[in-house]
Amino acid sequence: MIDDVFKALADPTRRQLLDELFEEDGQTLSALEQRLPMSRFGVAKHLKVLEGAGLVTTRKRGREKLHFLNPVPIREVHDRWVSKYAEPWAAALTGLKKDLEEENDDER
Amino acid sequence: MSDERLYTVVDGRGAMTVFEIYIKTSPERLWEAITDGEMRKRYSFGVGIESDWTPGSAYRAGVPGVIDISSGENVEVDPPRRLVQTFEALWSEEVRAAGKTRVTWEIEPVGDDSCQLRVTHDQLPEGASSELFGGWPMILSGLKTLLETGEDLTTPGSLMYANGGAWA
Repeated sequence: MIDDVFKALADPTRRQLLDELFEEDGQTLSALEQRLPMSRFGVAKHLKVLEGAGLVTTRKRGREKLHFLNPVPIREVHDRWVSKYAEPWAAALTGLKKDLEEENDDER
Repeated sequence: MSDERLYTVVDGRGAMTVFEIYIKTSPERLWEAITDGEMRKRYSFGVGIESDWTPGSAYRAGVPGVIDISSGENVEVDPPRRLVQTFEALWSEEVRAAGKTRVTWEIEPVGDDSCQLRVTHDQLPEGASSELFGGWPMILSGLKTLLETGEDLTTPGSLMYANGGAWA
């Protein structure tokens, strides 16, 4: 599953589709197609990959099929991969910033 | 289940968000984790929930004396498959402005040993603050971690209200 997420994210068009859904959630294929310089077939193909990775989910409304961003797998990647490697640094830097600011306050 | 009824638009409030996750657990354990106040604290920012979980009953989520998170009604209670709640966010001025929204939990068994959990947060006012639904990915990721490993997810912020809000 996580391989599918990384694979799906490793393409600029698919990342753009996620950004479009982040801007406006619940869009039809026709609406998304108008925002990308690509054929309907191409957009549909990319959406299928995103759906397979669980990053996009669909619902029907009447005769329309709407596409929604599902950010949960990205959160899982963050919790499993990003926080483990990046956050000790982020925490250290936040601590450093706080120390420096307190130092500045003392000087005043 | 037809998707159609998820699209009722009440007073022009039709915006919705959908969150899905696969968890290696049984529907019964998943239902318990959603409705048990103590379990809930372990993956929901340290925030517990209280209700008797009968159809039409009220619920309240928060940390007593520290912060109110949400309240509402359990509109449909169908263990271990489906829970529909009205959701009034209470934790900030901005989210309170959204008024009454709706949260639908759906549990679908997948394969022999897993479930798909789908949380639909809808009846959101147009242009609703993303703060209103932005916490779901972290909550669901924490829920998965708890059920699959028995451990708490300790990403910064994930338990910010645990121990009475003493998280720093």
